[in-house]
Amino acid sequence: MQAFLAILRYDFGQLIRSWISRIWVPLLVLPAFALVIIAHEESELASETLAFYVWAVMAPISAIAVAILASSAISGEATIISDSILSRSVTRTEYVAAKIISRLGFTLAVYLIVVIPFTYFVIRYAASDTSVVGVIIGLMMLAAMLMFLAALGIAMSVTMSSVLPAVLVVLLSVTLSGPVLQFLGLTWMSTTAVIDQLPETFRGDAQAWDQLRVLLVFSALSIVALGSSVLIFRNKDL
Amino acid sequence: MYIVQTTDLTKIYENSYIALNALNLRVDKGMVFGLVGPNGAGKSTTFRILLGLQKPTAGEVSVFGESMTPERADIRRRIGYLPTNPSFPKHMTPITYLEFVGSILGIDSSRAKVQLARLLQAVDLVGASAQRIQGFSTGMMTRLGIAAALMGDPELLILDEPTSGLDPAGRKQTIELIRELSGRDRTIIIATHILSDVERVCSDVGIISQGRIIYSGPMAEMRRLARQGSISIEIEGNASAFEQQIHTLDEIGSVRYERVGSEFRITFLGTEPLSEYVQRVINLIDRTGVEMLYMTTGADEIEEAFLRRLEDDRTRGFLRAAAWVAVQDLNDDPIAEFTKLERPDAGISRNPAI
Repeated sequence: MQAFLAILRYDFGQLIRSWISRIWVPLLVLPAFALVIIAHEESELASETLAFYVWAVMAPISAIAVAILASSAISGEATIISDSILSRSVTRTEYVAAKIISRLGFTLAVYLIVVIPFTYFVIRYAASDTSVVGVIIGLMMLAAMLMFLAALGIAMSVTMSSVLPAVLVVLLSVTLSGPVLQFLGLTWMSTTAVIDQLPETFRGDAQAWDQLRVLLVFSALSIVALGSSVLIFRNKDL
Repeated sequence: MYIVQTTDLTKIYENSYIALNALNLRVDKGMVFGLVGPNGAGKSTTFRILLGLQKPTAGEVSVFGESMTPERADIRRRIGYLPTNPSFPKHMTPITYLEFVGSILGIDSSRAKVQLARLLQAVDLVGASAQRIQGFSTGMMTRLGIAAALMGDPELLILDEPTSGLDPAGRKQTIELIRELSGRDRTIIIATHILSDVERVCSDVGIISQGRIIYSGPMAEMRRLARQGSISIEIEGNASAFEQQIHTLDEIGSVRYERVGSEFRITFLGTEPLSEYVQRVINLIDRTGVEMLYMTTGADEIEEAFLRRLEDDRTRGFLRAAAWVAVQDLNDDPIAEFTKLERPDAGISRNPAI
């Protein structure tokens, strides 16, 4: 437990200092401010404003940031892992668990720090048409998708030995998943379909089963990706 | 109980490269064991398996009498490890890094600070303790690695090329530090290809070649055996006549020599004691009518012995394979098998060939 906490603190410190975090947060916050002002002055609908922000700002910027942060979790410090950390009294499970919690925790923290105040200001200053339950479910669905992206990044980070290919695989998977899922008749699972549905979701008009299905599927996929990461890392030669 | 024991340890990377080839290694408590071998012999792979960083393809490895796996953090808690050319988090300073190592090891903060201050002084990094690791030279990295390896006051210290990248003063200091660390129930394993380092600090030595131990024994024995087969002599007179007769000193093929002017360095690969060879050389001097100016036994002996071991191992590869098959058929006892393989039957006896 001691080692787990030490690695968790170490990794969190690294994430806070990283250049990607320093860029990611301002890139999310500045457009959010602008959108609140515009929505207020133009009396835009809150549900449409929130969905637009997710589509134009949150999704593309966060996808890249999370892909980089998660994919560099382990492959980014490949040389240091064995020399400095895993040759000491740390189990593989402690190490990978600390990495998973710090990367997922950091992603979730940034998401919530940005999205909660933004949502509050949009609902307050734009033309209010949202339901509280709808907003909560919509934000949970986005969080589930971000968590899945982070989990996929960590899985790639464990599998691949360098960061760049891992990031590319994650981003390509997200980009290509839309056409592939459409071909398989699973369009509802694609990120595009979920984002398209967001105005309805925020208004509380979407079908409960559709929302639950998205939450369950992305949560299950995240668990599978993280479970695989732990298994692969435990058996990997360093 | 051995502190470290491997039995037929084998590591094959991606079915294409054999890094360890049925390696049998035993290290007793309190030993300073030098693992000597050329680059690519399998020293670092052995260490990584001992630490649970890699899994063996076949064979067994035990440390402190227990099987080592990647999840055995409790065993690693008792081991200090210095890798070759170590890497550390570049944004940290020696102090923050050693604090981090201390927290991983579960050392309380105040004790860790006392320990790290003492270690930074011991490895001469006090002056650089506020600098980021990013700007460190190779020597500084090695010294920091030694300090990190010692943070938990380990019972077993594994040092992979500890003097690599160090200047002569740093090397001397490191050797002195290893000497100080030996004893007090601590076991040290040092991998190196610098034989003078091994001679200076090790109580025992193992020679590793192509992934297997080809010699293992006390350093004093290695020294004695090394001296045993080598005579250097300078003569005056008909050196050519003397040279023509050298091959008669022992059986055909078991005498080698090098000549530089009137100096001869004669190496005996036979099984007779050194005194017998000295007598034969003196007789040859009498027969050929030359005058002896000086005679010594052994010079650069350890290096010479090491190289002869390697050469001998290479030339006897097929014999060894046959011996291994025979032992597999006759004996399932791994210790007996080890003894037979690493000793006379395999053609690498401790006595003559060294």
